Amino acid sequence: MEIYLPIAEQSMNVFVLLGLGAAAGLLAGMFGVGGGFLATPLLIFVGIPPAVAVASQVNQVVANSVSSLQVQWRRGNVDLRMGLVLLLGGMAGSSAGVWLFTWLKRIGQIDFVIALLYVIMLSAIGLLMLAESVRTYLKRRRNPESPRGKLHTHYLVHRLPLKLRFYKSKLYISALLPVGLGFVIGILSAILGVGGGFVMVPAMIYLLGMPTAVVIGTSNFQILFVAANVTFLQAATNGTVDVVLALLLILGGVVGAPIGARLAARLPGVVLRGLMAVLILAVAAELLTELLRTPTSRFSLGSREVLP
Amino acid sequence: MSRRLIAGTAGLILMAVAAHAQGPRLDSPGAQLPGPSLGGQTDPGTPPSVPADSSTPELIVDLSRARVSITSAFQGESILMFGMFDPPGEIVVVVAGPAARETVMRKERFLGLWLNTGRQSFDDVPAYYAIAASQPLQRLLARGAGGEILSLEDRLSTIKAIGPRAPAELAKFRSGLVDVKRQEGLYPAAIGQVTVQAGRLFRVDLPFPSRLPEGVYDVKAYLLRDGKIVAAVSRPLPVGKVGFSAQLAGWASNEGALYGLGAILMALVAGWLGGAVMRRL
Repeated sequence: MEIYLPIAEQSMNVFVLLGLGAAAGLLAGMFGVGGGFLATPLLIFVGIPPAVAVASQVNQVVANSVSSLQVQWRRGNVDLRMGLVLLLGGMAGSSAGVWLFTWLKRIGQIDFVIALLYVIMLSAIGLLMLAESVRTYLKRRRNPESPRGKLHTHYLVHRLPLKLRFYKSKLYISALLPVGLGFVIGILSAILGVGGGFVMVPAMIYLLGMPTAVVIGTSNFQILFVAANVTFLQAATNGTVDVVLALLLILGGVVGAPIGARLAARLPGVVLRGLMAVLILAVAAELLTELLRTPTSRFSLGSREVLP
Repeated sequence: MSRRLIAGTAGLILMAVAAHAQGPRLDSPGAQLPGPSLGGQTDPGTPPSVPADSSTPELIVDLSRARVSITSAFQGESILMFGMFDPPGEIVVVVAGPAARETVMRKERFLGLWLNTGRQSFDDVPAYYAIAASQPLQRLLARGAGGEILSLEDRLSTIKAIGPRAPAELAKFRSGLVDVKRQEGLYPAAIGQVTVQAGRLFRVDLPFPSRLPEGVYDVKAYLLRDGKIVAAVSRPLPVGKVGFSAQLAGWASNEGALYGLGAILMALVAGWLGGAVMRRL
């Protein structure tokens, strides 16, 4: 069954889009990330213009994160203070990101930048996560009752000024760190059409040293507002948000998310992280191949300008 | 057993009623709209073989639909152009979409990666261009019809390049433009076949792909005799979004901020409700 997408200006199979949404939802439920990092490249692969794919996917992230936040909030897994500090950076970053996106689109480099950023981000994170989960897995097998170490390691970044106490996260760190993190995630969110959870979650665990329990809820909180901001700015400046496309992705995601959550409850954390790392690397590899392979057509068209 | 029979009969009746209700609606949209009458008056009572008087035109055409409506179920559409001409003669049909500025981008390998390195804009590029003829076009045009009827290559040779560039390079960009448009089905490569029946009735299918730029298209039929155009009839064919998609696209381009807020609200409600419902299951 085909449906015409009014902003993408083409018809697409409804079930392909629902399936994409469900896959993204499955990831969201399993790993607490938006799944946008998978859905956006796939939307581009099936032929949605990158600008529309990114802006509509970010609209889906709004729905995805409000749906996860419902649960996380009730369980008290949101560090509100941390969330607000992150959001400070996130709002600034995402606004800057949309501006950057508009500029890149105008000079005709947005597709390339999207693909390249995905390759860099995904391979870095995928490799880090894979290495970490393999290490943890081996350590546990060798020594199942290893003594609990420090709450988290102290890096140089913990010596920055403007220290704030985050009670829920049991942290006393500089506010500059979460603000900076929020800013970077905001830019990624605007350019890549993702919530940024796949960067945010590892960064919160490994960089900020937050306890895993509050990581997902807190990142969801910040992502909700950042994604809403990006949706608004993309719609207002570029007019690239396709609500029909977004709604189909959302419907698919609604079905996928609880299934993912149930799967996640049955699998141990190390395995889960290992699985996610492999998935991230697979998407990165596919995107890299696209960049390296000689294209079937070296030419493409920019947007049509009807002159008055 | 008897109950099943009754159910079956009821089903049949329902189907018949539905088919009846659908029947007229299926072919009416084109007919109901005031079809622009071109080529003068056609009297259905007059036998077509006998031109009644000198005021009867030599070429009469009509389209199966007065417009291409891009609805939410739009998957591309085939429009039938049909008509009648005074023999002898050959028919050529040219469909041209609205002209606009197009920017062609060319990828090159840079540090092993393919990225856009060159761009070239052209003015006066038709959004869509297709030619159909009742005989191989080359043969028709070779006889000196030329002039007004342009093959795609001829039509594109007149598009204006923006900015300076070597002619050889321009030609590459121009052929790149054709390749992309062809892939999108906007410059159909195969020249369509105009079918002539009984020596005076003709018909041709005009295929429009799903990704179709909006605007008023020009469908023009020519009657050629001995390689010369003896009659030409032009029909405007508006292509546009209608209904829900038109509404949404209009909001997105005119009321971007409001549309954005609506999109956020939609996502919040859908996400919230969806999450709540799925957790109950």
